Amino acid sequence: MDPADPAQKKQLFERLSSVREIVFGVQDGVLTTAGVLCGLSGAVSQHSQVALAALASTAAGALSMAAGAYLGAQAETEVLRAELDVVRADATARPYTLQEGLLDELWKEGLSREAAYRVVRLLSASPRALASTAEAKMFGLGGSMLGNPALDGLVMGVAFLVGALVPLLPYMLITVQRYDLGGALVATALTLFAVGYFEGWLAHRRDRWRPGLRFLAIAMSAAAAGYLIGLAISPLGATAG
Amino acid sequence: MLKPGDPAPPFDLECALNGRIARCSLAKISTELALIFFYPRDFSFICPTEVAGFNSALKDFTAEDTAVVGVSIDDVDSHLRWARELGGIAYPLLADPDGTLARAYGVFDDDQKVALRATFVLDRKRKVVFSWSCPLNVGRSVPETLRIVRAIRTGQLCPADWKPGVEFGPSDRNF
Repeated sequence: MDPADPAQKKQLFERLSSVREIVFGVQDGVLTTAGVLCGLSGAVSQHSQVALAALASTAAGALSMAAGAYLGAQAETEVLRAELDVVRADATARPYTLQEGLLDELWKEGLSREAAYRVVRLLSASPRALASTAEAKMFGLGGSMLGNPALDGLVMGVAFLVGALVPLLPYMLITVQRYDLGGALVATALTLFAVGYFEGWLAHRRDRWRPGLRFLAIAMSAAAAGYLIGLAISPLGATAG
Repeated sequence: MLKPGDPAPPFDLECALNGRIARCSLAKISTELALIFFYPRDFSFICPTEVAGFNSALKDFTAEDTAVVGVSIDDVDSHLRWARELGGIAYPLLADPDGTLARAYGVFDDDQKVALRATFVLDRKRKVVFSWSCPLNVGRSVPETLRIVRAIRTGQLCPADWKPGVEFGPSDRNF
């Protein structure tokens, strides 16, 4: 891939917009499942019951996250599309408003008033060019912000599932008590560190270990809190049973 | 903002006129009426429609013995380039960079640091006979301004939307 090629760069930016879903989905899948495993291990003694409950939680979580991402992206896209339509209609019906607004933005960004005027005047030769530039400069809107709700939902659901399998698989495969939860937590910790490290890599950070450790710290806090809550509510289970 | 009956503050400022830098003084304007219009900025997209519009109608204003003067906070070099951009402007564009004149006429927008879109017509004694201001994003109508000037010059009672040829109101009434 040629980083100087604007078309390829644009494609990369569009693909990067899925990073939010991937990171969120994996992180939530790992954390939720690790939390469920920790919490249930504190409350329930039978390994198979804990694994079954975690599996059910994984299935429900993946579907819920996928549906949530789909609905959220759908709502965002509809609102954004409506706003873009208004801006585009304005560009045709009242170009002066957009021209003046865009001129002011360019002026504020350091162009002389005369240069800004000439830029906007050139752009005005095409209502589409005027509208798309005004969308970006004046309102921070852009066509590339229109997501694909179905894809967003799918990515989120799969990411959650993949994340959930990280603590779940070691827990199910290791049958020795104590080591099962330990294995799940080690896998969780390594994965969360890897997700943070990956985020740092995408952001071209040199200290990629820092976001890795941040993810890890959050995960460990959530897992510890889940375990403590499980311990706290275990007497309720004994009473009910 | 000045209202009809108020004396117009005098001015003597640099201006761009017919592609050159000149000076323009209210005291030296000898026409019966003087039309002074303030506009926010050179190099914008609403102002040129007004600036060029007054230029296109300049003959009609001259025929009504009315001088036209434009004022903004831009400096005279900007006015020169702006007038060239618009194909030449045959009336003075006054440079009021610190907004002193706009403040004197009560039409300086302190938020935007520009003059409002305001129009004043001054009589021979250089008292305001007409004043009007528009929001910054709404351009004025040159034909309407010309209609007002024509109506003022009649000295008669002019009903709504009066135009030359339309009957005047009763001559024994003031309003």
